Amino acid sequence: MTSKAYDVDDFAAAQEFYHSNGWTDGLPVVPPTETAVEACLEWALMPPDQLIGIEPVREQPITAEKLAINAVMAGCLPMHFPVVATAWQAMMKEEFLLHGVTSSTGGCAVLVIINGPIRLEIGANPTFNALANSDRATAAIGRALRLALINLLDVRPGGIDRTTLGHPGKFSYCLAEDEEDTDWQPLSVVRGIPEGISAVTVMAAMAPRQIMNEWTTDPREILETFAAEMRANQRHYSIYGGNYAIVIPKQLREHIQAAGWTKRNIAEFLYERARVRRAEWAEVGKGSIVRDRGDRIHAALESPDHLLVVAAGGPAGGFGAVIPPWMGSKTKAVTAAIGACVDCEPPKG
Amino acid sequence: MTLRVLDPTNEMKGVGGQPAARPSSLQGKTVGFISNGKEGTKAYFGHLERMLRDELGVAHIICRTKSNYSAPAEAAIVDEIKRWQAVVTGVGD
Repeated sequence: MTSKAYDVDDFAAAQEFYHSNGWTDGLPVVPPTETAVEACLEWALMPPDQLIGIEPVREQPITAEKLAINAVMAGCLPMHFPVVATAWQAMMKEEFLLHGVTSSTGGCAVLVIINGPIRLEIGANPTFNALANSDRATAAIGRALRLALINLLDVRPGGIDRTTLGHPGKFSYCLAEDEEDTDWQPLSVVRGIPEGISAVTVMAAMAPRQIMNEWTTDPREILETFAAEMRANQRHYSIYGGNYAIVIPKQLREHIQAAGWTKRNIAEFLYERARVRRAEWAEVGKGSIVRDRGDRIHAALESPDHLLVVAAGGPAGGFGAVIPPWMGSKTKAVTAAIGACVDCEPPKG
Repeated sequence: MTLRVLDPTNEMKGVGGQPAARPSSLQGKTVGFISNGKEGTKAYFGHLERMLRDELGVAHIICRTKSNYSAPAEAAIVDEIKRWQAVVTGVGD
């Protein structure tokens, strides 16, 4: 390994050292010793100098060693590291627009959705409290992405990060899909990854907006509530279409599944229903930018493919969540396989 | 017990670019404005143009607007920069 090493007196001194250098998110960190970092790299079968990718705008190379240091600091175990590395590869795809996503005043976070067998291996919990402190794995993985942004790309508040408000997901914003308790295809499969392969999807996401409807079993009525929340976001935040994620916990999911609705049916329904007339902006104080385009219809989704439907959440409660995009379609959600090259040619012979 | 811990920052800096030499005066020079396209840039750059012309003697102002306010300027705009003596960008909410 080539990173600079520092000797500190003890655990408490390590905290002060990292905080005083601006290397944390404000919370205590796990001191990244060489042994801990090596364990991450060995688990992922990555040499320290392996290039995870190059940030496309500022041309900053990201190596496995540096990413592993930040993962350890975030509390990751070695088995979490492949998820962190793949998420970063996905974030550095051109279409994710990482520089804009991390520097914008809009203040989004990177939402990570984990699919496939790795969820079970790392102990991710897709049920109770799915969008919050549900388990060690998702908490640490989400945090690792933020710490690495801070330390590897200088995404510090007031520095590269020009965020006006931000939201708590900027500490950690990671969930796993509840694949065992749904008839629906996993998000990763919907987005083109073969069944049975672990994958992550990253999306530049605003805070979740929770909905409630426990007074119907009709999928249309349930989804009307989600559509209304998407329209509210269009009116109050950004009218432009982009990737939205919706999280549907078990209670509402079972009603929708029982009616035979697939994720595709849901996406097509919300594509049609989540639309606002530009003139509606005048009702919420934004009349000055309606201009002569009041009759223009803005769809929250540019196509049904832009909706990310995720089965997750605790078993009881008629709740759901709409997770809006940072800013229309300027950024695209990216899905990447973990530890598998799904684009590679199969071996000959 | 002493702990040996590692530096989490990016010690391998990217290629990046070097700042151009600063002009000693803007008198008679060409200055480019690269707007991010947001509403607030119109008044800002309008005011700045008057100041640069009236107070510093700038001869020409070239205005260009990015198509995506969160992404770098298009290659065609970047290509024009070498014909300017100064550029103002990175502002405008």
